Amino acid sequence: MDPLFERAKSKIEKVGKVTLVASGKGGVGKSVVSSSIALVSAKRGLKTGLLDLDVHGPSIPKIFGFNGEIVAGKEGLIPPIVRGVKIMSFGFMIGENPLPLKGEDKRSALSLLLAITDWGELDHLVIDMPPGTGDETIFCIRALKSAKANALIVTTPSSLSLSVVSRLVELLRGEGINLLGLVENMAYFRCNNELIRPFGSIDEGFLSKYGLRVLESLPIDPLIEENIKSGRLLESSGEFRSKIESLFDKIVG
Amino acid sequence: MKKISEVEILYGEMMELELDILKFALEELSKETPMKDTKFIFSEERASFRCNSCGYRWNFEQAHSSLSEELGIRELAGERESPIHFIPELAQALMRCPNCGSRDFEIESGKGIRISRIVFEG
Repeated sequence: MDPLFERAKSKIEKVGKVTLVASGKGGVGKSVVSSSIALVSAKRGLKTGLLDLDVHGPSIPKIFGFNGEIVAGKEGLIPPIVRGVKIMSFGFMIGENPLPLKGEDKRSALSLLLAITDWGELDHLVIDMPPGTGDETIFCIRALKSAKANALIVTTPSSLSLSVVSRLVELLRGEGINLLGLVENMAYFRCNNELIRPFGSIDEGFLSKYGLRVLESLPIDPLIEENIKSGRLLESSGEFRSKIESLFDKIVG
Repeated sequence: MKKISEVEILYGEMMELELDILKFALEELSKETPMKDTKFIFSEERASFRCNSCGYRWNFEQAHSSLSEELGIRELAGERESPIHFIPELAQALMRCPNCGSRDFEIESGKGIRISRIVFEG
């Protein structure tokens, strides 16, 4: 038995509701979706945490515009509260440096981050999972599955993104994780009231083959990038925000 | 059931443990348990790093002096610690080979904490 791993698991098991936000590959908007869900969750009055488990590309500090110092208390690292959300990420500790961890070191660093973060009381923890199906993803699933977490997969409608989604679906289901469905990101934009889908739509045959449903389709909106740059994600009203609110209702209720 | 007379704990230099606190905690936890008379022995494992690019080896003292002050974690008591104190693996992000500047190096020893020996009575 690894006491550190057991402590990591027990920390998450205490949380009322855990939502894993995963993706088959990087660059599909997983961190933006997980941050947005966490922001809506906090706005709805839930004590919400957001844990960034992306070892190689932690982006939560940037999305929340947090440049402050982390504080360590008696029970561990205290997640800063930004816009009502308790956030924790390797990004707070490594700045812009790469973190070229290998196998066992990656697992050990993830175990420690899970074990020494002092979340206090939480109603809902959103976890921004590492992208892909590598060893850090399988390790995180192993650490989190006893928390009876629900998972979402973020993808774009591109056939290249979907080809890796199927592998992730197999991995999550194989490990007994409850898969709520897909979030189709960067799905469309509007031009002169016409809805344009630059990458097409997710094939119905693909959905039925894997028993999946699209929970929400999110638009491409230049305002999202503008809001990220100023640390104000979801502050502007619009289609993206209303879709995220609708997604939240479907996954948390 | 046999009693445990000695437990040897091996801790990595990179953990920068405050041994007095750990000893006190173990003594308190052992009180009124079958381990109340157990002797805890602590041994430090020195940290060692090896560059995969040029083969250079260095120690924690050398590594520590080259760490950037920019990134730190503030303890409630006010002291500022390197993130490596909390997660030693972050050395991979915060250090470079002192000889060639490469980030591709191995931490050969000096991380973590484990029980290295248990001695039973009789």
